[in-house]
Amino acid sequence: MNCEQCQELIHDLIDGSLSQRDESTLNTHLEACLDCDSVRQDLSSIVTYCQMHRGEYEAPPNEQALWLRIRNVIEAETGGRRRAAAQTDTRRPSFVGRLMGHTWELSLAQLASLTAAVVLLVSLTTVIGLRRWGGETVRVAPAYTSNVNDRVWQRNQVINYWNQRVELNKARWSPEMRETFDRNMRVIDEAVANSLNELNRNPHDEVSEQMLNESLNDKLALLKEFSDL
Amino acid sequence: MICCIEQFIYKSPTLMRIRLLTRRDASASLLAVGTFLTVLFLSAGVAVNAQQQLSKRYPGGKNVRVELRNISGTIVVESWNKNEIRLTATIESKNAHVVPKQINECLVVDVMGDNRGRGDVGDINFKLQVPANSSVDVETRRGNISVSNIRSGLVRAHVSSEGDIELTNISATHVVAQNVIGNIFFDGEFSSGGTYEFKSTKGDITIRIPGNSAFRLIAASPTKQIKLNDFWNNGFKTQDGRKYVGDVGDGRSSVSVTNFSGSITFLRK
Repeated sequence: MNCEQCQELIHDLIDGSLSQRDESTLNTHLEACLDCDSVRQDLSSIVTYCQMHRGEYEAPPNEQALWLRIRNVIEAETGGRRRAAAQTDTRRPSFVGRLMGHTWELSLAQLASLTAAVVLLVSLTTVIGLRRWGGETVRVAPAYTSNVNDRVWQRNQVINYWNQRVELNKARWSPEMRETFDRNMRVIDEAVANSLNELNRNPHDEVSEQMLNESLNDKLALLKEFSDL
Repeated sequence: MICCIEQFIYKSPTLMRIRLLTRRDASASLLAVGTFLTVLFLSAGVAVNAQQQLSKRYPGGKNVRVELRNISGTIVVESWNKNEIRLTATIESKNAHVVPKQINECLVVDVMGDNRGRGDVGDINFKLQVPANSSVDVETRRGNISVSNIRSGLVRAHVSSEGDIELTNISATHVVAQNVIGNIFFDGEFSSGGTYEFKSTKGDITIRIPGNSAFRLIAASPTKQIKLNDFWNNGFKTQDGRKYVGDVGDGRSSVSVTNFSGSITFLRK
């Protein structure tokens, strides 16, 4: 498994929707690859945070008014001092100079209010951002570049799993049902083989690629549907 | 010649005995044959009785929906002019269970679920008579499906393995017909904004629609047996004749046809 394939599956790992075999393969890669493990940890902590704090943060009724009130309070406290300083120092330094040279004197209550406001702002931004753009930003872009053989191999891993399940149940079927299943499986295998042959001749053939994908999906569907019998 | 032989037999006492013996043998043979036929008849009677018949009626409504999940056997769905559903089933095996459930206006027959763990339950052939505006969603692992005279939101016919699908006089917003081995025949209309999907791995797909149909088509068959006939126009893009993509009319509905090793044919009504 390469990093792209791994990062595609990390979401499913966190959601707990991976098969046992896939999970085992993925964990093996994560143990060996620090980068992928780091992505897993980041994603996991974001999801955990959102799950823990779901519904806790609600936007205030009038967010703008709240900010204006906070600013007025701060300005009222510091305005007097600034005016006094302006009277003593008649020179007008530059904006950067004023900013760098400015000293902030805040009471404990003001500091606490300011910290709470910053935390609230960051939380709101995070929650809104996750809700609005969560799908696009968190999700890792799918690896379109993985080659056909890799994809077929991956698909075959799943197919093998379902094939084993079908083989376990086959003894219960009637001979006619077994013949039907085998005959249909041969027809689909033929379609898969033809598409692969065509792709070997022309690796960029879109029609063959579509046919390959669809025939592999059909094979999987046939196996799943007959595994219930 | 026969008369001569008979006269000869009657004249000879030895042959007379032989003839008498022959008559007795004949009677025995007749008795044996009679017994055999009686046993055969009774066996056939038992075989006939082994098949169960199920016939039930359910009240219909404005939005009737029928869902049928069969394992093996034919499914026939047709409309009738009554506001109720009639279900008839011929059940081959005594072990098979068929327990239709009606939830609001939806009739669900789940043979798969009803017979899980029972092993082989043989063929079950269904016939459903439904109001014409019913949504129909039927599938079987093996067997033919026929749906006719339906005008509703959905017609879905799915054969997991082999079986022909015949959809006749259908006017539905969404139509899906899919099998692995078998022919697919669709005769009906494409509604504006509707979606239509036909897919087979080995079989012929024939679509018969009115000449003024408007749809966007994606048709693919690696064997290059795609015949659009009257619906072909210069706007179609093709890849070696294996895939056609293009609009017919203003392309108001979306049609997808895929066949791995068979033909795709469009016919005008």
